[in-house]
Amino acid sequence: MADEIAIRITVNGTVHERKVEPRLLLADFLRHELGLTGTHLGCEHGVCGACTVLVDGASARSCLLFAAQVDGARITTVEGLARGGAPQPIHDAFHEHHALQCGYCTPGFLVAVHELLADNPEPTEAEVRDALSGNLCRCTGYVNILAAVLDAASRLRASGQRPALR
Amino acid sequence: MAHETTRGWVGRRALRIEDDKLLKGRGIFADDLHLAGLLHLTFVRSPHAHARIRAIRTERAAAVRGVVAVFTGHDLAARCKPIYVDVIFPSYKAPSRPVVAVDVVKFVGEAVAVVVAESRYVGEDAADLVEVDYEPLRAVVDVEAALDPAAGVVHPDLGDNVLFKGKFATDKFDAAFASGDLVLRERFRSTRVAGVPLEPRGCVAAVEPGRGTLTFWSSTQIPHMLRTAIADLVNVPGLSEAKIRVITPEVGGGFGTKAHVYPEELVTAALALELGRPVKYTQDRREELLTDIHARDHIYDVDVAVGRDGVLKAVRTRILTNAGAFPSLPFGCTLEPTGGARMLPGPYRLRNYAYETYAIATNTGPSGAYRGVAQPTCFMAIEGMMDRIGRALGIDPAEVRLRNLVQPEEMPYVNVVGVRYDTGSYVAALRRALELVDYEGFRTQQASGQPRDGKYRGIGIACFTEVSGTGAPGFRARGLKRIPGFDSALLKVEPTGAVTCVLSTAGAGQGHETTFAQLIADELGVPMDVVTILEGDTTGGPYGSGTFASRSVVTGGGAIVRAGAKLKAKMARIAGHLLEASAPDIVFENGLAFVRGMPGAKVTLREIAENAYSMSSKGLPPDEDYGLEATDYYDPPLVTMANATHIAAVAVDPRKGGIEIERYVVVHDCGRVINPMIVEGQIHGGCAQGIGQAVLEAMVYDADGQCRTASFMDYLLPTIKDVPAMIVDHIESPSIDAAGGFKGVGEGGVIGAVPALTNAVADALAALGANVNSTPLTPDRVLAFIESAAQSRSAGR
Repeated sequence: MADEIAIRITVNGTVHERKVEPRLLLADFLRHELGLTGTHLGCEHGVCGACTVLVDGASARSCLLFAAQVDGARITTVEGLARGGAPQPIHDAFHEHHALQCGYCTPGFLVAVHELLADNPEPTEAEVRDALSGNLCRCTGYVNILAAVLDAASRLRASGQRPALR
Repeated sequence: MAHETTRGWVGRRALRIEDDKLLKGRGIFADDLHLAGLLHLTFVRSPHAHARIRAIRTERAAAVRGVVAVFTGHDLAARCKPIYVDVIFPSYKAPSRPVVAVDVVKFVGEAVAVVVAESRYVGEDAADLVEVDYEPLRAVVDVEAALDPAAGVVHPDLGDNVLFKGKFATDKFDAAFASGDLVLRERFRSTRVAGVPLEPRGCVAAVEPGRGTLTFWSSTQIPHMLRTAIADLVNVPGLSEAKIRVITPEVGGGFGTKAHVYPEELVTAALALELGRPVKYTQDRREELLTDIHARDHIYDVDVAVGRDGVLKAVRTRILTNAGAFPSLPFGCTLEPTGGARMLPGPYRLRNYAYETYAIATNTGPSGAYRGVAQPTCFMAIEGMMDRIGRALGIDPAEVRLRNLVQPEEMPYVNVVGVRYDTGSYVAALRRALELVDYEGFRTQQASGQPRDGKYRGIGIACFTEVSGTGAPGFRARGLKRIPGFDSALLKVEPTGAVTCVLSTAGAGQGHETTFAQLIADELGVPMDVVTILEGDTTGGPYGSGTFASRSVVTGGGAIVRAGAKLKAKMARIAGHLLEASAPDIVFENGLAFVRGMPGAKVTLREIAENAYSMSSKGLPPDEDYGLEATDYYDPPLVTMANATHIAAVAVDPRKGGIEIERYVVVHDCGRVINPMIVEGQIHGGCAQGIGQAVLEAMVYDADGQCRTASFMDYLLPTIKDVPAMIVDHIESPSIDAAGGFKGVGEGGVIGAVPALTNAVADALAALGANVNSTPLTPDRVLAFIESAAQSRSAGR
């Protein structure tokens, strides 16, 4: 393509330099150019939250961003949240509370929860509901997601950890 | 998973085997599959509900760089046979559906052409350049209006819009109805909704060069039936099931939506075979909302005759279901009308019953089997009548139910349409739920006047039966011949002692890998962590129905129990041979075979397997075959009936029409529970979908048949702010008819939540004289109920 734009993006700590079409969505760049298919597309119009990633530490819908828009940014995807070997209180809490079923919305939830608990280590139930109200799940009914997030917060506090947002 | 004693994996909250990959973003869903040379399909879709296609011009689209080909309906008619759904009822008639419309479109979103391109971006560019000259025709949209052919006929070759009419009445029904002291009549209506899994549908087809074999990955719940459909309907010489392998990758929710064969799947398979390159189709959300099956656009007119004591004498109903433009494969359009009619008697002792039930074609999206099928609405109807009986006679609605429920001593009970309820806990579940929700306390507080916040409080009960684990006789009773009814398990011990089970079921997030591993661990006496479950792959295991309609633990579980017994018998014979004991004296525990009463004498499963696979000098008993595996099928009885009671307490804001759910209790009975954590997850998720149907979701078509809700801005799914905390309790009444004692649980949540919430809002607004009889109870509709009550009060004054 004639009008490709050169971009340099750091994804999960790795620098990627590519030429992209201006209209290439960040979600498609991550999924199809970089093979990071953990970021899921549920609506492609910014409502469901499945495609949520961190852009310079703040959550964003990768279906509403062009890859060219985040030139120079640091992106964290669900693959980047799961660091080998280290304790993962948020992941563990999701597992132990059965806070996922099909797992399609889960990456977006995990990213949103990392951001929430980095900003607010001791959220109330209402604050968790507010923070996650932009992520849709069709399987769990959210009951166990809420329990998992509150438990993850208390585990993180007990261990003196805060989620790293890179 | 730690090595623990294998005694009693069933009943434990084992954590899920599935979670690790999903939490790390490593689950592979259909759209995650990348194959070299992959082509992408983009469908051009009709903006009209009903129109003649005068001409289609594809030249501009075909000229776009990166476009490989463009096909119209006429082009594809030569490549795929139309979809026709056999239903064995004399009154059934149905159209054939071309995979892409030929000459006429019949609903908004129906495909009129398909672009094959090197990328999805290019495909979408080109799709916009396909020029279609439509001549709009009159659309028929409303289910009741469509009864009259003068309103327009969707399929002129069929004469009218009645695709199916079913009729039933017990002996001397009219006399029984006339014996009632009181007759109540109501019309209930549920608005169209859809399953809306978070993962839209997707599929990938790849052909192995030279051999012509097709590997087909699809986000389907029915891999075996899909394979048969591809073999039947894709017109390629020499193609047969033997050359088709269907695989389900991770599937991001199904809820029945993905338990259908869709035209796009057939087109994807046909074009991969034709072009000799892998082909992918991934829906976007708009396509998902427009073209995946819809459900529950139903009207129930119900008449009940009761005694002064509130006991049912007779019930009559007329049910209209909106089939949409086409029946869906394999469920046709009879599932909703027959389901609603046959399930409406529910857990009640009803002996006099009559129904008429219809499936009506309209120019709207095709209907199909969405979680719960007709049950949320038919229980809204009968449970709504229970409350109305109570209000009319001054009897508490809980008491009305207690007087009508099938009592424990009446079990097993054969209901009025011939369905056997083998075991159940109808009275116990209601009593337990009343206690957990503090029903008496609520009523006392309610009677003392409304709280000062100006909101009206109400409480709603839903007692219901949940059809699960339907076998072949159950599907035949509903006219369906394309659905086998049984499922299968191939259970084997590998040479190293690992246990593999290939099932014909196909999960979409329900946790089958964990649930079935728990069951197998107990059936064979092995540790859970040596068991691997393989499902959703038509190669490697025998045929079966798949996963839908709360069936997998009944049918797959039953198949495991039966295959497990055969396999364990062979394990015991070989162990007996090795230990010089007789097979009946062998017991298995934690992967070891012991001789009963001789704790020192034991062999490992691996030693048994090595002998079975001739890797050891001791060999096999005389006349024993090599190998260590067993296959079996399980076809459950007519249906396997689970039950539950849901009770919801709500606060309704009469100024804004908003509803808050203040208490929510579920007492559920799905027989023998394998994993309570997973069962509760099914209930939570089902309840959330029921809450959606009751207060948020509506698939809206306007009078011209235009869909007004083809995005998540318009079709509102429940969020974490809409679903309350809930108390879930289990009662276990193991099935005595179904192998293993299991009953299904997948649909109960949605079935109970719709009537419980509707009744709660109705109870809250009864003080105002409002007659709440339809869903969804969105703020505007709640205000309309209040307004209409105020108008009838002032008119009566």
